[in-house]
Amino acid sequence: MSILANKDTRVVIQGGQAGVNAARRMAEFCYLIKRPLNVEAFVYPPDAGKSNEIPYGSGLIAIPVYKSIAEATKHHPTLNTSLVYIGADRAMKGGMEALDDSRIKVVSMITEGVPEKDAKILGAHARKLGKVFNGPSSIGIISAGACRLGVIGGAFDNLVLSKLYREGSFGVITKSGGLSNEIIWICSQFADGITTAIGIGGDAYPGTDYVSYLEMFENDPQTKAVVIVGEMGGDLEERAAEWYGAKKRRVKLIAVVSGFCQESLPKGMKFGHAGAKEGMKGEGSARSKSDALKKAGALVPPTFGALGPAIKETYQDLLKSGQVKEPVEPATLPRLPKTVEEAMKADEVMVSPLIRTTISDDRGDEPCYDGYPASELINKGYEIPHVIGLLWDKRLISKQEAEIIKRIMMLSADHGPCVSGAYATILAACAGIGLSQSVAAGMIMIGPRFGGAVTDAGRFFKYAVDNKMSVDEFLAYMKKNHGPVPGIGHRVKSLRNPDKRVKELVGYVKSLNIKTPCLDFALEVEKITSVKKDNLILNVDGTMAAVLVDIGFPVDSLNGFFILSRTIGLIGHWVDQKRQDSRLIRLFDYLVNYAAPKRREVPPLK
Amino acid sequence: MAKVLEGPGMGLMKKWGINVPNYVVVTSVDELTRLGQANEWLKRSKLVAKAHEALGSRFKLGLVKIDLDFKAAEAATKEMIGRQVGSITVTQVIISEMIPHKEEYYCAVKSTREGSEILVANCGGIEVESNWERVKRLCLEIGQSPSPESLEKLSKEAGFSGTLVKKMAEFAGKMFACFDSEDAQYLEVNPVVLRAADEELVALDAVTLLDGDAKFRHPDWNFAFAAEFGRAYSKQELEVMAVDSKIKGSVKFIEIPGGDTAMLPAGGGASVYYSDAVVARGGKLANYAEYSGDPPDWAVEVLTEKVCSLPGIRNIIVGGAIANFTDVKKTFGGIINGFRKAKSEGKLKNVKIWVRRGGPREKEGLDAMRALKEEGFDINVFDRNTPLTDIVDKALQAK
Repeated sequence: MSILANKDTRVVIQGGQAGVNAARRMAEFCYLIKRPLNVEAFVYPPDAGKSNEIPYGSGLIAIPVYKSIAEATKHHPTLNTSLVYIGADRAMKGGMEALDDSRIKVVSMITEGVPEKDAKILGAHARKLGKVFNGPSSIGIISAGACRLGVIGGAFDNLVLSKLYREGSFGVITKSGGLSNEIIWICSQFADGITTAIGIGGDAYPGTDYVSYLEMFENDPQTKAVVIVGEMGGDLEERAAEWYGAKKRRVKLIAVVSGFCQESLPKGMKFGHAGAKEGMKGEGSARSKSDALKKAGALVPPTFGALGPAIKETYQDLLKSGQVKEPVEPATLPRLPKTVEEAMKADEVMVSPLIRTTISDDRGDEPCYDGYPASELINKGYEIPHVIGLLWDKRLISKQEAEIIKRIMMLSADHGPCVSGAYATILAACAGIGLSQSVAAGMIMIGPRFGGAVTDAGRFFKYAVDNKMSVDEFLAYMKKNHGPVPGIGHRVKSLRNPDKRVKELVGYVKSLNIKTPCLDFALEVEKITSVKKDNLILNVDGTMAAVLVDIGFPVDSLNGFFILSRTIGLIGHWVDQKRQDSRLIRLFDYLVNYAAPKRREVPPLK
Repeated sequence: MAKVLEGPGMGLMKKWGINVPNYVVVTSVDELTRLGQANEWLKRSKLVAKAHEALGSRFKLGLVKIDLDFKAAEAATKEMIGRQVGSITVTQVIISEMIPHKEEYYCAVKSTREGSEILVANCGGIEVESNWERVKRLCLEIGQSPSPESLEKLSKEAGFSGTLVKKMAEFAGKMFACFDSEDAQYLEVNPVVLRAADEELVALDAVTLLDGDAKFRHPDWNFAFAAEFGRAYSKQELEVMAVDSKIKGSVKFIEIPGGDTAMLPAGGGASVYYSDAVVARGGKLANYAEYSGDPPDWAVEVLTEKVCSLPGIRNIIVGGAIANFTDVKKTFGGIINGFRKAKSEGKLKNVKIWVRRGGPREKEGLDAMRALKEEGFDINVFDRNTPLTDIVDKALQAK
């Protein structure tokens, strides 16, 4: 047996994330005692109509969210208990809503910082209706082996260590949430554990007090003794003493009270829970409470540390008198399934990875590129081209190579609004499309005719150099197998109207005194082709390709240099259009050659 | 509970129709001089000047001056502003008019479990404290308002007669309205005086305690709450309060000068048992502290730094019960960072650290604490198998 919370308790939780977290803890307990989840519904208007996923064992249970208590109890007529996790400013309204529902008999409020007046109104309303209003600031209620309301009892391991999977003989009532767990643990180590433990909350005027629950424990035959953990302030402990001393009680009462330190503190200095305030003239002091409890016949150990032995002594008496028997522990207990992470950490499972990476690792406090921490690269003077080297080719390139890459990027960052890529981005920007999609529209243009020839140019120049071909052999090979040479030829530039970018890049690379077999070969090819036709010159794609192959970049990465550089320009064009608030653009008729058939009659459908 | 200084306290009473003396709160003599030009009563009436700070025994400290003319009030203001009392500097002075009167009475409203209690006595000042049996009470349930008849009955019971019955009943009714509407926890007017000029009851001195938790529904509470222990909050305490107001969960810190045992325990309940244990063992507390409700690690780190900076400490008690949902590893992470920082600043020399804790991820948290030994900390770590406050016994025996 137990009080307040038992196997028939069906719960609705009022509130958002904090409520969901509590439901998870409650599901762990239900799993431990092999009972179905006792939470049936949530009430949280912002999420009404959705459901919350609560892990139970290795599965998930979907618990519906309603907009009101009435709606929840209509769909779940067995609901009888509500846990309130609503913010302090709305807690009273929520608590009232639950109390006013005829099906709900117990309301436990977890919310902290509820105004005193609101708590009093809720308590008085519950008393009028003959219901239980527990809290505010309650950590929850737990009945061993039967029911958990809230996070009381702590983590799964603690539930097992504190033997909460089966009934003991001790009832527990505390103001403090943290100490409730401590007492439950002490009862399980020095005696046979608990029946029910209740956190009444540390506020000055909780809805229900020690006496409310002492009365219930007195009527619960399984509970043989009750431990109360009090503190200075208010008169709840005095009332408990009065109740205990009024007549012969069946349950034994063990009590500790905190706040003796108050006697030696500077005057007026008070601390602890909101309710822990000593009244005028010493009323509500730890000493007066502890004296009252002793006088009423309760066992009051002198310190918290002496509580364990006091509980043990009581338990031994109960054993001797035959009122309790040594508990039988179950042979096996369910174990909470581990998450994959936990199981891996314990070397219990092996998982085959979904992807494999060889370039970067983000698991530390900062990303490492090919093993080098980003901040260290920065602090040692490395720059963007070095990061490109690490991520694209897994090597730390030289200062000279970095300078070449930087120049390539600067030269190809943009080429005005008319080229396919920029034009597509501008068109999208003017249609009101966002940055990433507009830039992607420009990116889509990069291909064999625009910007995407770098990789192919590099591949073929490299093929020629690797195979020691002469220019003639190469041109014949290309004509026979592939067609025009990628990297050769330009739409507008020609021998007479040279591309300044090519001149610049070639001039710089040639000044460096490094070996450039591909570039040399490409320039030889240009000599032949440009004689055949004026505009068959080495273009910027071809130049970049040859140079990048010469400094060792893999052929497959080469288009990346154009894509990366041109992204700078595409972003610029999008921002530029956005800044001007450009209007939607549309082609003019006169820019289209309408070569479609003239208007004609549609024949009848056959 | 949140204490409110006289100025804002009188403002709230005035709002609910209670007669209060004219008053101004000033931060400089210049301000008072200018107010004197704008307010006739300052020139006409006899005045009282009081330091407007959360200080006990102001009379003894010379921070209350009575029976002043305006010039003398200016002089008193000049003298009080900037006065240093312990850690507090007087920054505000309240100047109010003296009310010529003969009789003094008493009226208070206090919070009770059932609702509230209205207290009335037909004596006031210090006389009421030595004649407490003359205080009569009217008990009210929550949601219930006192009827005019019940208030008059109370007034008669307290010994008022003639026209005063009704006047006191009305005064008490207004006190209740103020108490109930302003989410007060305690309102006391001592003395209530009968103003000679017009035979009206006036609140001469007031104690106002409000429910700080109800601040959300009182947008006109534009005043700061005062510390309740007769001194202002220190800079360190204010910094922890600022953190506390920003986070989920809570961190609390109060300094107690002269102690040598520093407290860094978890939980509003356990922290007091730890303090009790220190006192019971004959130790001297250097502070009160507490963190709970799974606060973020950085908040616990700030709290730890304050605790480590307390002067003259020899032990730090990092105690705690078995937590329900506070993540031990995470909160200990904050404490460890705080310890490391303190050590790198040359603090924690010859300070012993004592740890006891349980709860979610207790093993990882306690292991991390134990590892501090290798960094040269004098630290002793215990788990749930050591009773809650035994670390205090060990710490104070180890002297």
